Formats: sequence, structure tokens, C-alpha cells
Amino acid sequence: MAPAIELRGITKRFPGVIANEAVDLTVAEGEIHAICGENGAGKSTLMKILYGMQAADEGSMTVFGKEVHFASPNDAIDAGIGMVHQHFMLADQLTVLENVILGAEPMRSGGRIDFAAAKQHLVKVSEAYGLDVAPDELIEALEVGERQRVEIIKVLYRGARILILDEPTAVLVPQEVDELFRNLRELKEGGATILFIDHKLDEVLEIADTITVLRQGRSIATVKPADVTASDLAELMVGSELPTPETTESTVTDVVALAITGVTVTDEEDRTLVNDVSLRVHRGEVVGIAGVEGNGQSELVDAIVGTRAVASGTIFLLGDDVTRAPVRHRRELGLGYVPQDRQEEGMLLPAPLWENAMLGHQTRAPFAKGPWVDRAGARARTEEIRRSFDVRTPNVDVAAHALSGGNQQKLIVGREMTAGPTVFVAAHPTRGIDVGAQAAVWDAIRDARRLGLATLLISADLDELIGLSDTIVVMIRGKIVATLDPHDVTPRSLGSYMTGAAFESGATP
Amino acid sequence: MKNRKLLFALFALVAMLVLAACGGDDEAATTEAPAASTEAPPASTEAPPATTEAPAAPTTDVTVGLVFDIGGRGDQSFNDSAYAGLERAGTELGVKFTEASPNDDGSNRAELLQLAADSNPMVIAVGFLFEGDAAKTAAANAGSNFGVVDSAMLDFTKDPPAPYGDNVSGLVFAEHQGSFLVGAAAALKSTTGSIGFIGGVKGVGGLIEKFEAGYIAGAKAVNPDIKVVSEYITEAPDFDGFNAPDRAKDIALAMYEGGADIVYHAAGGSGAGLFEAAKTHSEASGTKVWGIGVDSDQYNTVDPAVKDYVLTSMLKRVDVAVFEIIKAKVDGTIAAGPTTYDLSVDGVGYATSGGFVDDIAPQLEEFKAKIISGEIEVPTDPAAA
Amino acid sequence: MNVALGRRIMWATAAPLAALLFAVAMSSIVLVISGSDPLAAYGDMIAHARKLETMIDILNRATPLYIAGVAVAIAFRMNLFNIGVEGQYLLAALVAAHVGGLISLPAALHVAVILLVAMSVGAAYSGLAGVLKVTRGINEVISTIMLNAIAISGLGAWLVREWQASGSIEPGSATRVGTTPIDESGLIGDLNGVLEVFTRDIKQGKSLTGVLVLALLVGVGYHVLVNRTRFGFDLRASGINPFAARAGGVPPKRMIVTAMVLSGAVAGLVGVAEVMNVGFFPSNPIRGLGFIGIAVALLGRNNPLGIGVAALIFAFLDVSSGVLQFTGAASREIVVIMQGVIILAAVVAYEVTRRAREREEARSAAAALAGSPA
Repeated sequence: MAPAIELRGITKRFPGVIANEAVDLTVAEGEIHAICGENGAGKSTLMKILYGMQAADEGSMTVFGKEVHFASPNDAIDAGIGMVHQHFMLADQLTVLENVILGAEPMRSGGRIDFAAAKQHLVKVSEAYGLDVAPDELIEALEVGERQRVEIIKVLYRGARILILDEPTAVLVPQEVDELFRNLRELKEGGATILFIDHKLDEVLEIADTITVLRQGRSIATVKPADVTASDLAELMVGSELPTPETTESTVTDVVALAITGVTVTDEEDRTLVNDVSLRVHRGEVVGIAGVEGNGQSELVDAIVGTRAVASGTIFLLGDDVTRAPVRHRRELGLGYVPQDRQEEGMLLPAPLWENAMLGHQTRAPFAKGPWVDRAGARARTEEIRRSFDVRTPNVDVAAHALSGGNQQKLIVGREMTAGPTVFVAAHPTRGIDVGAQAAVWDAIRDARRLGLATLLISADLDELIGLSDTIVVMIRGKIVATLDPHDVTPRSLGSYMTGAAFESGATP
Repeated sequence: MKNRKLLFALFALVAMLVLAACGGDDEAATTEAPAASTEAPPASTEAPPATTEAPAAPTTDVTVGLVFDIGGRGDQSFNDSAYAGLERAGTELGVKFTEASPNDDGSNRAELLQLAADSNPMVIAVGFLFEGDAAKTAAANAGSNFGVVDSAMLDFTKDPPAPYGDNVSGLVFAEHQGSFLVGAAAALKSTTGSIGFIGGVKGVGGLIEKFEAGYIAGAKAVNPDIKVVSEYITEAPDFDGFNAPDRAKDIALAMYEGGADIVYHAAGGSGAGLFEAAKTHSEASGTKVWGIGVDSDQYNTVDPAVKDYVLTSMLKRVDVAVFEIIKAKVDGTIAAGPTTYDLSVDGVGYATSGGFVDDIAPQLEEFKAKIISGEIEVPTDPAAA
Repeated sequence: MNVALGRRIMWATAAPLAALLFAVAMSSIVLVISGSDPLAAYGDMIAHARKLETMIDILNRATPLYIAGVAVAIAFRMNLFNIGVEGQYLLAALVAAHVGGLISLPAALHVAVILLVAMSVGAAYSGLAGVLKVTRGINEVISTIMLNAIAISGLGAWLVREWQASGSIEPGSATRVGTTPIDESGLIGDLNGVLEVFTRDIKQGKSLTGVLVLALLVGVGYHVLVNRTRFGFDLRASGINPFAARAGGVPPKRMIVTAMVLSGAVAGLVGVAEVMNVGFFPSNPIRGLGFIGIAVALLGRNNPLGIGVAALIFAFLDVSSGVLQFTGAASREIVVIMQGVIILAAVVAYEVTRRAREREEARSAAAALAGSPA
């Protein structure tokens, strides 16, 4: 029997980045196949290629044994592939039935919609796959889990036999996750093939028949859940062949630069994202935060930087209570920040490099003179950053979007480090940059640490965390669950803390 | 993201330009409401003025540049009527002419007057909104005559008020005389002995009161005991009264309920409400009641569903005024300051469309002759009527 | 450096030029279809525009368009769409003219008070939309449209009535309806004296509005504020990427309100041109400048010089409408068609050149990368 999907050598390049490189993937018919990998590992690009939203630069693709070339999602749908997006695409004011048939309405003569036939078909589909929905209910009356089910039915209604689910559990509470998994198993019974994208390892191990791990755009391994543990998976995802950033002697002082006490962060729906976190970072110290992505690290960073309000708790920067202070005040106190998504939070893409180098420091010399922008000073500083951080650019007047991702990242790290921060919050500072630049960033952090910089480092690169940190804390579901000495951990043991496996097996934190 | 924003901006812009264009028309209607009501008539082209002599040789070196009000030709009212007068001057007097309309926001009125004056010894501006610009442009172009429809073109800051200049003429109308004739028609046609008058705005320099005075006088000339009820929709400076058909309808319905069977309006755009009221009341009560139009021959311009309720209309003949001022220029008799176009030159009159007043035409013609001869002097103040 | 500058100028002007040429081509087609001779029409337009008096007309028309364009551009720079310039300028001019007519002060001070009132009213009214956005999350497009309606049909109409100069309504003299005339001391004089030093005597009783100087000051101020100050940097950063600006310490809410206030303050000056020309706020003011301002800002790419060129193009077309009618070369609608086509073509052309420029920059950056050891 031909596999449902077979990808061979899929490669996709974007300017400055290789999103997928020679990816091979074989999905057998009727299985649940999980694709996991860190953010930026190339999962979503691969899915977009598979669903016809983007075209691969190289490689071949067969579906049910037939070679295919998708120009648009419509081609993918015709080939029997359907996609359930993470963000639902449903009209609240319409009923389930209306949403399901939207864009695929069965017509009667005279251009009228044949609702009766549609309903019949809908009921048939939902019964065949054991999915329970009320066709006449309004979407706005449904729970999140039910809406997701409507999305799945919408795809099935169009005749999909292969379903791609993009991080379907991200929006669900645990009970809804159980319900989803039950549904997925029933779909499998019904003969559907499911591609399941996720990075929550315990979920992947629970539901998948086969797991393919992507790392840095490549397919690293395909394994059976029975053969691996969560820590094995974590190691596969993160890898460990990079040069180790070894920190030598301790420079930790007893001056507390950043003090976080009992910080809790909630979202609009009152869900707790960061739960009572307390943390101290001393001058000359690097504190690393380890955790599977989505466990509250980025919300904690937002709270420290000031772009997200805290529900309770206090944040002190060098003895100043900045819990309610605006971002600018914290920046002026010497807070340096490398955001986790450089394009979204770190760059003004259409603006010249020298303006990008100002961002976050525009109130201070050499970028400003009183209320005026010091253009000469800003250019000179940008040149300095360009030299010391090896930013590859013809000049500092080109727009930031002309730079490759790695060079953009070097510019961001450079601007933050040259501004002479006292507290440095770095989220994935070396993600997506080449080995040489990575070493430069590590050197910069180590040098600054020696001079008394307090660093909070969030990274998915466990070697980086272990190598640079003086202390490592582990976050799970918004809480700090362990505080570790990097000398005592390996990437493998750290991975087991991150997934919680270390606690179940009785290891002492 | 960026593109979406751009697209949205573009879409919004196009939508706004469209809206602005429509808005421009509305605005024209509102801001010129005072003009429209009191002055804007596409006179019926029948009945050429009695005073015209057939020109022997229609050649002259007088050329005319005419500037319409916002909207230009095709408005079935003021502008069209002015154009009719212009065309007649072309055929009967042999004058050549050019015409232009302002931009939708009226920002280039002065520019158009100047352009007209550049190549024409006679410049005509349609509508009182040209007053200021015409006075200014005339001062800089002594070689051309300027005629402004519906403005006396007198400088009221002087005592006594004097024309803005030797080359500036105002074209105004004896609305009270025309109103006298429709008042007489109302009295002749009324079966209840009670008629009504609806004015648009009270207190605009006695402008609308002139209509009321003439109407009452004409009605009383027929039937001294006739009952005339008068009401104004708003009072200056609230000019909404010229554009409030719903309020006119309410007032008219009340008048019909009160026993009036013919109502005359001098309320511009509000008049539509009057004719609707006449239809509504007639159908509800089974007795036919009438409305009388103003400015243009409203039998031809109202919603066809209510045209049979338009007894007659008081006509303001912009075409006559335009023709006459051009003729005066050709003849060399053009005078500065206001010229009033009255019954004697058919500057005002009554409409016969629909044939509803054919039976009383002899009486009306008799009144007309008496007014022209001076035997009847029509008052302009309602208190004197 | 000179090559780089030349390149920048080329990229900056390529799109509007292409748009203009496209608009001319489209208009020519329309003219031919409607039975007119395009060459004759363009010839008439240009011949007319070469007269000194016509140039004055163009400048007088361009002055408020320019100010309106800058007002819109300030908000555009922060990705805010201030559709409310229309209502802001009409309300501001009304209040400023009213206040100016009531008081009597030495010349410079009198003018200053009128300008200050106009800017304050515009700023407050526009700021309201900003406050609604940050406190209630109401999109500024919606709120400014609503505020336009309130300013024009509601508040403005009522105030016009309240502040009607008494005794000014005379038979056949209805144009005089407006606020109390402002004393000579409160009016910005014309620039004829200055202009005549360089040219011949101005005829036809035309006068070049002194508000032009104000518009130029607004343009210079806008350039300095946006391109040379920290505030301007914050403004542009928020417009380009609000998340990055926020992480960079720019307070998003305060920036929204400030941008709307500034946009409104400039909008307040739009109507001053007419008030200074007629000496009071007329009951039938020139409307629609705020909407045309959006088109002008779009065509001028929010650039102070670009907006100036766009305002002059629009003014030139507006002024051409009259001469086309009198020479019989074309109907006035051609002017509106050209304005519309220019805007549509400009938006498309900008997008095309933006992509072309990005490609070229990426190429040159990649070349620099290749030139050095990886």
C-alpha cells in the first residue's frame, strides 16, 4: 500500500534563511503522525508546502502514491488534504451548518442553497467519524473545543482524507485536549490520516503512532513513541552538537540587580500564565530559564520588560520598584532586551539600520541630544556595532529588511550590548544565527558578565543554557519547578526536568 | 499587513471621494436653500415675454459668459432656466455665449467670473452666492458688465445702499405680483372659503413675507371674506425651513384638516411635503384639495404621483431676467444696481400646466393687466395685505 | 554618496512620475472618447497656468490643501487614519473666526490668538478620537467619521446659527451670513507686495494669501518634528512596528493621543485660509478640504515636499477646470477624473517601486555579504 504522504528532499529557502532543507517524511495511511520541533525548526513551512500555501524550491511530493504539485490550497483539498488552523476561521453569527458549507454550498436550481442536502451530508460525515455536533447551533454559543470540532468537520465535509492539525492543543484546556484526542482516535478508526504538529512532548507521546522530529529545517529522526522518552525527544529537538559555551570562573556578586517577587501574570480570560514566580539575578550572574516553549517564559519576560501588566507581585530593577513603570523608564535604568521574535518585536524593517540601532535607546546619548535625534552620533554608534558584531551590510543606511535574519539578530544583540546595560534580558539571543556570530554573542555576554552585567537568559538551546548560566531555573506551566546548578546537569537531565519526567521518576530537583 | 492597510486606505479614500461628491450636491442644496426657494425656477418655455421685439438683424459683438451655480445645467430649476434665457438671447439677439460651472465645493467661483470677464463684455452669475466674488471681480474688470441673478448687488454697508459698481447689476423678481395671481387663483378655486400659505423661513429680510403679502392680497381681491392661514416652518437664521419636506407636510395636513382646500408654499425643497399632504388628505377624506407650487412649474418637476395636486405654480422667470439683461447690454441700456423683473416683462407669472386653471384664466389675465397698468398695487408686507 | 543620493531621489520620484504619466494617458483616452482633443485641452491648461494671476489662484488653492495633507500625514505616519480633518478644520475655523471677531487686539497678537484658538479646537477635537481609541478601543476611522458628522451637521450648524452676526441678513444679501467680521488687525495680509518685487504688477484684483507662509512653516515644522526629533522617531517607529516601538520604550497610548492631537492642531489651520480671505466664517464655507487632504497626503507619500507637490498638482487641476470650460476644450469632469486616476495610479506605482527597491537593497546587502569572508 502506498503511503498517504511521501515527501522527498523538500527544500525551501527564504532570503537569508533556509526554512526546510532536504526534508524526508513518510506518513502511512490511517496513522496519527506527529511532527515536532522547536519554533523555527521549519514545521509550519513544511505544512504550508504540504497544504499548497507555499511552493517548495526543491523536492518531490506524492499523495496516495500520486506525484502532486500544489499551486494553492484548493489543489491540496482536491487531493484530499485538509488543514485545521490554530486560529479558527469561523463566522460567529452563522450556524455550524452554514459555517461548514461556506464556500462549498450545494446548489439547487436557481442559485438557492440546498440546506437539506447539506445537512444530510454533514450528519453523515459526523457520524462516520464519530464527531458529535449540532448543525443548527450558532458558533458563538460553542466552547473552544466544539469550535475546533466544527473546523475538523469542515475539512472532512470537503472530502479530506488527510488532516493537518496545526498545534491544535494550544488553545485547549486539559479536558478539551482529552476530548480532542478521543476524536482523533475515532477519526483514525474511520480511516483518516492525521498529521499532528506539536511541541508538547507528553501529548505527542500519548497520541502519535509515529513521530518525526525537525531541527533547523531538517528531518532529524522518525521514531515510534514506544521507543523513546520525553527527554530523548527533547534532545532530538534541541540537538547537542553545537560548540559548548563554557563559562569559566564565577563572577557572581551579592548585589541584586533584578529582583522578582511573587509575580503572577494572567491573560484576558484570566488564565494564569506566570504563577507566583520569584527570582533574583545578581550583578555578574547569568540566570538561565529552561522550559518547553509555551510554559510562561515569554510572558515572564514581557512582565520584566514592561509590555505586559502583572496581576500581582513586584519587580525591582537595581533597587527601584518598576512593577508599574513604563517600558521607557526601565530601559533608561539600564535594561537591555533581546526579544524572542526579532522581526516582530525588535526591528523596524523598512527603516535604516542606524534607526534600528536607536530603538530602545533613543532617549540617550549617542542617539539623542535633548529632544533632538543625533543623527551623526547614531550613525557612528551603528558603525561601531557593525564592526564589533560583524553585521554584514553595505552601509548603515540600508533598510533592515535587506539584511539576513542572522545579521538582524547580530544588530539587535549589538545595540543592546553596546548600550551598556546593567540588566540584560535575552530571549533566544543566538537563535537562527550562524556559528561564528553565535560565538560572538556568547563572548559579548561573558565579557559583560565579568563587568557586572546581570543576565536573564531564555533559551531552547540547552547547551547554551548550561554553558552560560550560573544558575538554571526550570519553568513548567508558569511556575518555577526547579532551580539547578548547571554543573550538575546535562542536556538530557535538563530535558527531563523540562518535561516533568524528572519528578515522576523520583529524581530530586 | 502593510498591503492590507494600504488597500483599506485606498478603499476608504475612494468611498470618501464618492461621498464627498454626493455630499457636495447636498451641500449645494442646503446652503443655497434660501436661493432655491425664492428664486429657482425653470420657467416654462412657453409664453415668450410680451415686450420682446423681433430683432431685425440678430448680429451683435456682445458676447456672454455665464457661470452657473454648483450643479450646473440639468438641475431642472434655476440653472436650466438661466440657460434657456441664454439660448434665447443667442437665437433672438445673435449673441455668442460660453458657460461654466464651479467645482463641487464652489471654491473657484471668483476664478470663473474672472475667466468669463477675460473674453466677454457681459458676465452673468446664477445665484446670490456669487455676490461677494462678483462685486470684487467687477471692480477689477471695468470693461465688463456683471449681472447676478437673485441678488440686488447693493452694498448695504453704505448709507443709502448703493450698487457695488457702475458695471454691476442685480436681477431680482417681483415675487409678490406673481403671488397675487396664484392667490387670486386659489380664492377662485376654493370651495371652502379657506386657503393656506406655508413660508420656508421667516425674517430673511422680508423675502418670503413678500410672497405671503401678494398671495393674501390676490385672494382678498377675489373674495374679501376669505380666510387665509399662514405659517412659517422656521425663522432666520435657521434655514432648515427651505429643506424640511416632512415638517411642511405636517403643517399642510393640519391646514387641510382645518378646512383649507388650497395651500401655497414658498419654501423651496420643503414644497414636496405639501403636495404629498394634498394627496394624502384627498385620498383619506374623498375631497380633493390642492397645493400651489413656487419658482418653477412644479407640475413638471414634482414626483409624478402627486402632480395632479399641483393647481398651478408661481413662476419666477430666470430665463426672462437673463434674456432681458443681455438685451439691455446689447441695446446699451444696462443699468447698475437692481432691476426688478415683474409681470410687465413676464419676469413672474403663473403656470397653466395640467389645465387646472384654464377655466379661470380670463379672470387671472384681467388681474394681471390691472397690476401691469398700476390699477392694482400689490403690497409686499403681509400686514398691509 | 552622490550616487546614493541620486538613487534615493530616483526611487522617491519614480512612482509619482509614473502615476502622473499614467493619469495623463488615461485622461487622454477619456478625452478622445468624449470627442475632445487632448492636446488642445492640455495646451489650454498649461497656457492658463503660466499666467501670474492663475499661479496665484493655484497657490491660494494649494495652501489649505497642503495644510490638510500635512494634518493627515502626521496621523498616517503612526498608522492612524484621521478622516476627521474635515470636521476638525470646519469647527476650528468657525470657533477661531468667532473669537477673532469678538476681540480687538494689536495686529500680531490678534492673529496669534486666532491661530491658537484654531489649533486648540482642532487638537482637542481630534484628540477626542485618540482618547476614545486608547480608552475604549474605538477605531479612529469610525470615531472621526462620527465626529465629522457631529462637527458639521450638529455642533457646527448650531454654532453658526448662534454666532450669526446680527443684522447682516439683508434682502438679496444672504452671502453676508456668517460670524462677526474680524477687524483688520486679526487678518493675515496678502503677499502681493512681496511677490511684485520679483514679478510684474498683479492684475485682476487677485491677491496671494499670506496663509501660504503659515503653510510653509507647517511644512518645515512637520519635517523637523518627524525627521529630526526623538518624538518624531517614536512616532515613525510606532507607525512602522508598534510592537517593536513598545518594546523600545515608546508608550503606545500616549503616542496615539499625541499624534491625533498634533494632526488635529494642524487640521485646525486648514480653514484659517478661508477665514483670512473673507474676514469671517461664512455660512457656506468651502468644504471637503479634509477629504482631499487624504488624497494629497497619499500622493505626497507623507513627505513634506511630496505633499507640497501633490497639493500643487491638485490645485492646478482644480484651477484648470474653469479654463477648460470656457475654451470649450473639455468638460470640467475631466479634472475630477484626472485627480482620481492619479491617486489610484500612485498607490499602485508606490507599491511596485517599493518592492523593486526592497529587492535591490536585498541584492546589494547580499553582495556586501558575499564580498567578505563568511
